[in-house]
Amino acid sequence: MNKQEFLEQLRQGLRGLPREDIEERLTFYSEMIDDRMEEGLSETEAVAEIGDVREIISQIREDVPLTKIVKEKIKPKSPVKPWVIVLLIIGFPLWFPILIAAIAIILAVYIVFWSVIISLWAVFASFIAGAFSGVCSAVYFLICGKAVTVLSMLAVGLLCAGLAIFMFFACLAATKGVIWLTKKAAIGLKHMLIGKETA
Amino acid sequence: MDIQLKRGLLDVCVLAAIKDKDSYGYRIIKDMKPYLSLSESTLYTILKRLETAGMLTVHSVEHDGRLRKYYHITDSGLRRIEEFKEDWKEILSIYRFVVKEEDNE
Repeated sequence: MNKQEFLEQLRQGLRGLPREDIEERLTFYSEMIDDRMEEGLSETEAVAEIGDVREIISQIREDVPLTKIVKEKIKPKSPVKPWVIVLLIIGFPLWFPILIAAIAIILAVYIVFWSVIISLWAVFASFIAGAFSGVCSAVYFLICGKAVTVLSMLAVGLLCAGLAIFMFFACLAATKGVIWLTKKAAIGLKHMLIGKETA
Repeated sequence: MDIQLKRGLLDVCVLAAIKDKDSYGYRIIKDMKPYLSLSESTLYTILKRLETAGMLTVHSVEHDGRLRKYYHITDSGLRRIEEFKEDWKEILSIYRFVVKEEDNE
């Protein structure tokens, strides 16, 4: 592959990133190839030393933050035509509520996930409280001298403590699951915006 | 190696490569080669990060009818190297402690 082909493939692969970003990277790689050729390598050898262009593209895509891609995506490609602005203003009562609703739905789904997590932890907390109050009332009835009540309170307390331990691991797993899901969703969004790797 | 640790190491390595005189991309890679191999895209990310952090500045110089970017270390970059040296004195003493514990086992 010669330098021109390499740079062209790189440019194609980085489509979707901000233009200045792409230009800066291309200049960087172009300089790297030129410097190698100055050392006596042939053009093809110099390009080969830089590495596989597809690998370079996928590494760059991973490095670029999501916010940068989103910013580039919502930036209009060509100057906005007047009639588009007029249409946007006239259509405002229509598209604005839809947009708000869409955002609200996504937010709501996310909140629902976290509510489940919070309620799981609440159950965990109540088991702890149950264990604590069970033991406390056992001590109280011991002072009062009611042997049967002491035993039953102690039993309830220990049961709660046991359940709390199980609950703790369940809560931990569920929390980790939701965090993992959030990360996956962010990566999915990134792919949706810049498209899957183009071979 | 731990990714956070490696990132910090690479930053300081690149700063060290431009410490004595300004350098350019390919020479930085060549100078570092005996110690660690660095891909172009990794170097680009590091240079960008250091530039944003104000630890180096970039200027273009004409060379052989084309432009070449030179990287110049700033005071804050030099301070980073000094900090690194201090940190590693501490890390080395911890390392000696860890190794000694293992030898005694």
